[in-house]
Amino acid sequence: MYQSESVIRNHYNNINDWLDQMTSKVILEKNAEAETHFRNIGITFSTNNETARERIIPFDLIPRIFTYTEWLRLERGVIQRAKALNAFLADIYNQGEIIKANIIPKEIIYKKKSFEPSMFGFSPPRDIYSPIIGIDLVRTGPNDYFVLEDNCRTPSGVSYMLENREIMMRMFPDLFHNNRVTPIDDYPTRLLQTLMSLAPIKCENPEPVCVLLTPGPLNSAYYEHSFLSDQMGIEMVESTDLFVEGKYLYMKTVDGPKRVDVVYRRIDDDFLDPLCFNPQSVIGIPGIMDVYRTGGVNICSAPGAGIADDKAIYIYVPEMIKFYLGEQPILDNVETWNCEKEQELKYVLDNINELVVKEVDGSGGYGMLIGPKSSKSSIDEFKTKLSTNPKGYIAQPLLDLSFSPTLIKNQVEGRRVDLRPFCLIGEQAQLSSGGLTRVAMNEGSFVVNSSQGGGVKDTWVLAE
Amino acid sequence: MLSRTAEYLYWISRYMERAETTARLLDVGYRMSLFPNPSGYNNEWESVLSAAGAIERYKNKYDTIEQKNVEDYLFFDESNPSSVYNCILNARNNALVVRTSFTPESWLAINKTYQEILNLKEQKFTKSDLPNLTEWTIEQVNLFRGSLSSLLRNDGYNFLFLGLFIERADNSARLLDVKYFVLLPKPQYVGGNIDNMQWSILLRSLSSFRAFRWAYDGNITATKIADFLVLNNNCPRSLSFCIQNIVKHLTNLRCSPEKVGRIYNNLKDLNTKIQEEKIETIVEYGLHQFVTQFIRKISSVDNEIHKEFFN
Repeated sequence: MYQSESVIRNHYNNINDWLDQMTSKVILEKNAEAETHFRNIGITFSTNNETARERIIPFDLIPRIFTYTEWLRLERGVIQRAKALNAFLADIYNQGEIIKANIIPKEIIYKKKSFEPSMFGFSPPRDIYSPIIGIDLVRTGPNDYFVLEDNCRTPSGVSYMLENREIMMRMFPDLFHNNRVTPIDDYPTRLLQTLMSLAPIKCENPEPVCVLLTPGPLNSAYYEHSFLSDQMGIEMVESTDLFVEGKYLYMKTVDGPKRVDVVYRRIDDDFLDPLCFNPQSVIGIPGIMDVYRTGGVNICSAPGAGIADDKAIYIYVPEMIKFYLGEQPILDNVETWNCEKEQELKYVLDNINELVVKEVDGSGGYGMLIGPKSSKSSIDEFKTKLSTNPKGYIAQPLLDLSFSPTLIKNQVEGRRVDLRPFCLIGEQAQLSSGGLTRVAMNEGSFVVNSSQGGGVKDTWVLAE
Repeated sequence: MLSRTAEYLYWISRYMERAETTARLLDVGYRMSLFPNPSGYNNEWESVLSAAGAIERYKNKYDTIEQKNVEDYLFFDESNPSSVYNCILNARNNALVVRTSFTPESWLAINKTYQEILNLKEQKFTKSDLPNLTEWTIEQVNLFRGSLSSLLRNDGYNFLFLGLFIERADNSARLLDVKYFVLLPKPQYVGGNIDNMQWSILLRSLSSFRAFRWAYDGNITATKIADFLVLNNNCPRSLSFCIQNIVKHLTNLRCSPEKVGRIYNNLKDLNTKIQEEKIETIVEYGLHQFVTQFIRKISSVDNEIHKEFFN
């Protein structure tokens, strides 16, 4: 919000005036209203640390604002990246040109658990492997945006993006009269269009039947699953609702079996098909991979799409953009050291006090070390981990994430934020006009994950 | 519509209906406990427990029948599958799964109820709170039912109402049976003052006290009440009203005419009988036998609905 110590960036002026006229009583009331609303609609989540009552994510009343021009660049950058990631997947599951060109060593692809051998030689509709991509961005200076992470499997959080906007419009209608905020409520429609545009070859239905496949009510993103299927008007199914017969996939309905064309799955690869993946899985659909490979159904995202957001592959995304699209990357990567390489590991071990070390397969802000903020003992612990399993880690510099004004105990204070916009690729590629802004609610914290006390904000993109 | 969705919708309204019945029973017990206890009648809390079909399970847990324990058992107890708390919890967990199949208002109504009962449970309650708790429950259930009026009139709607009327038919029949035989052990009591009080309590437990007064002139008699609760099509809790609505929502289902046909064939006779029968004949034949048969039939219809649609 601030350009320097005391100069407010132009597009935040309205918000500043609005904040000035709000008394602390009103702020308290509105906070309580938001909390009650989130509880009532059931937008709750559970963490690894399970307690009896569902938790809600802290919601901050002050929106984060992007100008039209700022957003234009992010939009182009994210779409560019999403296209390259899909081109990469199409390549490595077929010709493997990028390996032949010696840009990415084959070991780091083919040996990864997220690489799916059964996908080899198969091309999904329109060659789209990952139709919904969430890209995590951070800002470190006026125009310095970096990509922290790609999410190509089943990125979550879009329901927060939509609900945060709903609650803001409900509580502060005047804000929306006085600011030209681009609407985002067409996201579910666009998502459905994207899914429908990815119908499998054997689908004869002009309006393909799409379903959302959820692991069930115990999943932490269950709210989002039901929210999205509701908004799209499609069935939310569990794997027991589906079965394979002949060369097609069906769901069990009150009037008998109904053919399913596109499965928007929100379960992991391992649990898709016990015949093909994890035979222990009780929540898969036996035979679905066979139907998929013979064009009877499309699975979004494709099995094996996860290799594209592997933290070791991340390093090569700028190269992919140049290789597949012949373009210069619009958004930069964060400088990253791959501990698998001996030299880089040495650098990491020598400079661990200044670096952030992350598990290659970790998520949710768990299993990471923030060097400058850690005690000697946890640093030593990580040094041992790094030396015994260098492949499992990458390191990045500690980024000075931008601050966004946040209400803490009724005072406006700066807190660090990141941003996850959602990119859809089907017949066309498009970016949500907004995204999920996560905010580290604790003073001085760099971790924005909800499991670690992070909150969320409404994210505005101002119309031209 | 997914079979599982249909099943969950069906059970959501069964649970909500059951929550209301349990709350009303508690209210009846509470009223009865305020009157002097006459000889020849069973302990009011015992009859409340048996009407709720919970007497055995209650006795496994407690040695004596006391208001405080009965209230807790029927309202909050997690080990009682039909406690108001469990009904709301189950309805809410089912609703979470099928919220896409009804309106946001219906989901809100159920989820708010759930959030509030969690708070109520944490605070526990004092004796004088019971009327507030039952009133609250009835209010919440009405909120849910009201929200259904904006639903699409599709199969989901019909499954919701099938569940509601199957549950209500069962509840009404059981209440009628229990009151008739538990509360009136000796024929000579019929028609006495105490008897009238007991009857009016039965009517209250079915939320039909005022309605009965409007529907029938003159004295309250056992026959009139039986007529009202068994055969009167204007009474929304009578057995015949429930059957009519089961038939209506069953035959409104568009999904599978064959399955509907099979279930309807099983139900047809009961429907015809209940529409044509005179109350005098039923009483002569034995209300208890009639009601027992009725309960059995409803249970077999419920089984068939599960077998045909939810598997």
